[in-house]
Amino acid sequence: MPHLGAGYNLARWLARDANDAEDIVQEASLRALKYIDSLNRSDARAWFLTIVRNAFYDWCSRNRPAEIARDDGSAVDAAVDHDAIDPEQAAVRRSDAKVLADAVAELPLAFREVLILREMEDLSYKEIARVADIPIGTVMSRLSRARALLQGSPQLRAIANGGR
Amino acid sequence: MNCDRAVSSIGAYTDGELDVRSRHSLEAHLRTCAGCATRHADLLALRKRLRSEVPYFAAPPGLRERLQAQLAAADAEERARDAARRRGRRAPFGPWLDAIGGVVGTSQWRPLTAGALGGCAATVFALVVGAAILDWRADNDLVAQAVSSHVRATLDQRLVDVVSSDRHTVKPWLSARLDYSPPVRDLAGDGFPLLGGRLTTLQGRPTATLVYGYRKHTIDVYVRPEARDVPEQRDVRGFNVAHARSPGWDWLAVSDASPDVLEAFLAHLLREAAQP
Repeated sequence: MPHLGAGYNLARWLARDANDAEDIVQEASLRALKYIDSLNRSDARAWFLTIVRNAFYDWCSRNRPAEIARDDGSAVDAAVDHDAIDPEQAAVRRSDAKVLADAVAELPLAFREVLILREMEDLSYKEIARVADIPIGTVMSRLSRARALLQGSPQLRAIANGGR
Repeated sequence: MNCDRAVSSIGAYTDGELDVRSRHSLEAHLRTCAGCATRHADLLALRKRLRSEVPYFAAPPGLRERLQAQLAAADAEERARDAARRRGRRAPFGPWLDAIGGVVGTSQWRPLTAGALGGCAATVFALVVGAAILDWRADNDLVAQAVSSHVRATLDQRLVDVVSSDRHTVKPWLSARLDYSPPVRDLAGDGFPLLGGRLTTLQGRPTATLVYGYRKHTIDVYVRPEARDVPEQRDVRGFNVAHARSPGWDWLAVSDASPDVLEAFLAHLLREAAQP
């Protein structure tokens, strides 16, 4: 299991729960073993991440069907409610890191997964397209939306403004 | 390049995904347009923060070990079952070596210095090679294949391809998929209800497998139309094996039920099968 770490991190960010992430990685590892024949050395990590991602979606449709329906990206603008900026909240002395991590965790699923694959796993657009089973154009637009959402997130904005 | 086009490609530029020409043309634009230069700087700043502030979750301690134990079990069964199919097409552990080679570098690989490769890769490597060697022996070993099929079906919870306690359903299902028609009897009266049947490949040949229950145990019976020499092997990896012959038929039963139960079961089965 050379890419267990990457697989776990992806599952953890998709499921947003440590126990669920373990279940998903476990299922993915068993699947990986089954389809080991299709493994080709150059893209072993992307290959395993694809399996982890698929295992997550299967798990999600069994355990949290509402999440997939809600997070297909169509309701993305609802994810950032600029009127919801709460001065109290922004004033709370939380570490910046926690704020950004929370903002990532709150990204809609479709945007979260491309962002994690790009920024944490350093996958190319082509690899992300294959892992997430979407066209490269969609990878680009989702990445761009994900970043815009993070830059526009109220907590981040509050920090940015405070810092300038 | 105008700002509209620049904005749409700044992301790809930041990700190193632009071709040379688009890159040069965007860079020229960034030098002259403060707005787009700021957008680019913002993306770089976001990336920097993402990589430094958003945690990369490490797999919890113990997960690797638990998975390895589980995979080793599943792997051995998978390989034993597929050995015949895979062998000849490629080295059975080639893909795993590739995968591991991708991490540790194939040139460093030496069979006898596997310990130097570091925890995970070395362990998986050892397990896989172990399984592969078992495979090679199992190829000609009917009993090992039968046990593997039984274990695999149990692990997959796919014990039966045709679920039925009705022998008039199971028998035609099997006959339609084989070049022989195995005798199928329900032994519910003797405490061994028929659960169904499935197809198994043993020594490269499709083989009828009848699945019976006994209390909480499952008994697989592999039925073949010709008598076979089966080595006297009663216990394979904790599973019990019983073998019997009747006129025209060869029976191999595999189960985690105790040996005397298995013997009794075969005795009932042969008695019933002898009935017209």
